Amino acid sequence: MKNSTEVLIRVVDLHKSYYDGETELQVLQGINFDIYTSELLAVVGASGVGKSTLLHIIGTLDRPTAGSVLYSEDDVFTLPDKELAGFRNKEIGFVFQFHHLLPEFTALENVAMAALITTPNHKTVYKEAEALLDYVGLAERCTHYPSQLSGGERQRVAIARALINQPRVVLADEPTGNLDRRSSEMVLELLWDLNAKSGQAFVIVTHNQKLAQQVDRVVRLVDGKIF
Amino acid sequence: MGFEWFVASRYLRSRRKQSFISIISFISIGGVALGVATVILVIAVLDGVEYGLRDRFLANEAHVVFRLHDHSFFRDYQKRITQIQAIDEVVAASPVILSQTAVFPEHSEAIQDVIYIKGIDPVAEDRVTGFSKLVSGSTDFQDSEYIKNARLIRNETITGGIVLGGRLAARLGVIKGDLLRFVVTLAKHPVNESMLIPDLANFVVIGFYESEMAVYDNNFGFIHINDAQKLYNKANRINTIFVRLRDAELAPQIARKIEDTVQFTVLEGIPDARTWMELQAPLFSALRLEKIATVIIETLIILVASFNIASTLIMTVMEKTKDVGTLRTLGSSRGNIMRIFMIQGSVIGTLGTMLGTTLGLAFCWLLSSNAERPAYWYIIVLAVPIALQVLIALWRALPNRDGWKFAAAALWIIGIGFALYCAVRPISFAELGLSHIYQMNQMPIKVNWFFVIFINVLSLLICWLATLYPAWQAANLKPVEALQHE
Repeated sequence: MKNSTEVLIRVVDLHKSYYDGETELQVLQGINFDIYTSELLAVVGASGVGKSTLLHIIGTLDRPTAGSVLYSEDDVFTLPDKELAGFRNKEIGFVFQFHHLLPEFTALENVAMAALITTPNHKTVYKEAEALLDYVGLAERCTHYPSQLSGGERQRVAIARALINQPRVVLADEPTGNLDRRSSEMVLELLWDLNAKSGQAFVIVTHNQKLAQQVDRVVRLVDGKIF
Repeated sequence: MGFEWFVASRYLRSRRKQSFISIISFISIGGVALGVATVILVIAVLDGVEYGLRDRFLANEAHVVFRLHDHSFFRDYQKRITQIQAIDEVVAASPVILSQTAVFPEHSEAIQDVIYIKGIDPVAEDRVTGFSKLVSGSTDFQDSEYIKNARLIRNETITGGIVLGGRLAARLGVIKGDLLRFVVTLAKHPVNESMLIPDLANFVVIGFYESEMAVYDNNFGFIHINDAQKLYNKANRINTIFVRLRDAELAPQIARKIEDTVQFTVLEGIPDARTWMELQAPLFSALRLEKIATVIIETLIILVASFNIASTLIMTVMEKTKDVGTLRTLGSSRGNIMRIFMIQGSVIGTLGTMLGTTLGLAFCWLLSSNAERPAYWYIIVLAVPIALQVLIALWRALPNRDGWKFAAAALWIIGIGFALYCAVRPISFAELGLSHIYQMNQMPIKVNWFFVIFINVLSLLICWLATLYPAWQAANLKPVEALQHE
């Protein structure tokens, strides 16, 4: 499965600028790269260089100032909001540095959430969510609320949540940035295992050099450009 | 249950699992409920006063008063009454002479008052206004015991009996059997023609008229129509016909019909039939104006309550900004987010409106039912929620041992219920000394179901509108900014 040459996402001449009053801050200045199906890609770079911004744009959470992101050659930013949301729901999974679990919902409900948006059939959804929690080693924690889980457990719930709709790509922004070493290793092992098994593409933003050495490919972001 | 309902219902609850609803949602619901309950109760009281006055008024009042335009006397009244009685919807018509006269009682040397005189045919009048039911004493204008035993001075004659308005009699200081002198006309003195002397007529007080309608009890005297004709020297003539209808609401149509039916020559005059609505227009239009003003003010109360919902939602949106970001990353559309918060607000509005309607109607019921209500009604009304509460408390007590909280809540409700039972009784105007003003013994309550439905729809609509802005605000949060919100 590894080393696929099939392009999943094509990032074409991506620009992103922020305006602070009159001053224009150019974060991304013409980014071009491809993400292949089922590859494990790391985006590295100094902090504040625009790694997260790039990830948000690839994840359709933010819009580029110029340029496009092509999923299987389709420009997703031409979609209206509702369809873009549906696309995000089906095709993209997110894992953030902070778990971003919904505090009012149990671990199981958090995992099931993305599927619940489109599927009203709760039973099968919850069954799948349970299987995912079992996979990340938290089968006993289904009814716990995020506040009742440890940092590492929360992040594992967040990973399970990203997978519920079997997206084609999982975007992870510093997934271990907020964890101790033991939890970090557990989370990373989980990611490698997932990538090996599921054939999903993983894009991981990190400045963890050790992590960067363990991936298929590294993209380095310097001054808003890819090197 | 759709996705939006799933999320919204969770946001309505408090973080601590055991409470059904968060305190802030509860306060918003309470605000709407109080608004709706107040509107229902206040309008029920206003309607009650209006209908109370109306019923009291209509019970002893003609529905249509027929006269000539200039109030002059006319002949052939029997024929005309027959014509009126032939009209559908007319129950009875009674010949009347309406007039005014100055009076002084037996023991007084001076004119004490100018009163209205209503000359009636007691039998016909009974059918129109239920006259005799409201008289204490005699209604036999010719042969009453009081007339036989009247104390006459000099060689006076008695024209007949008079039934006086109760409070008028008290004011004049007369009792049954006393003489009341009418000043009918002024005559020239037989010797000194430049001097005028009053032509007096003597009436014996035979009864008191107690209708609790201040206008009659304070100002009217009733005499026999024959005596009135004699008194004013108008044999076989009258100036008014009182008409009773099957349905008082039809008065306007029937009044026009009467004007068309009863024929008069040009010389006699122009017929003029007035409805009870026209005659009492100032009172009833004042009541209606009051009601309109009240509805406007009360709608403002609901509007204020709806601001609660808006601010609750805005607070929730601020608190949940990060969650909104997360939900957007999971693939919720703007529409999903908007609906989540609109559902949350609408649930608050709906629960508040339902609770308010229940409370309002419960208060209406407590205030309107009379003292004869059996005590067990109270017990049922109080026992049902208490029993439910106790059951819930017991049920809750089993798994999480939080039962004491619910037992406390149950006690609290018992306390409130008992306080209500003690405090909320029909408001007695009689006890407050207000019966004379309102002409009723009890504060009347009339629930207008159409209005209750109207206020429910209005409240739901206002609450729904209040959700729009906060929900729109949530929907338009930028996902990335929302995620980074602290």
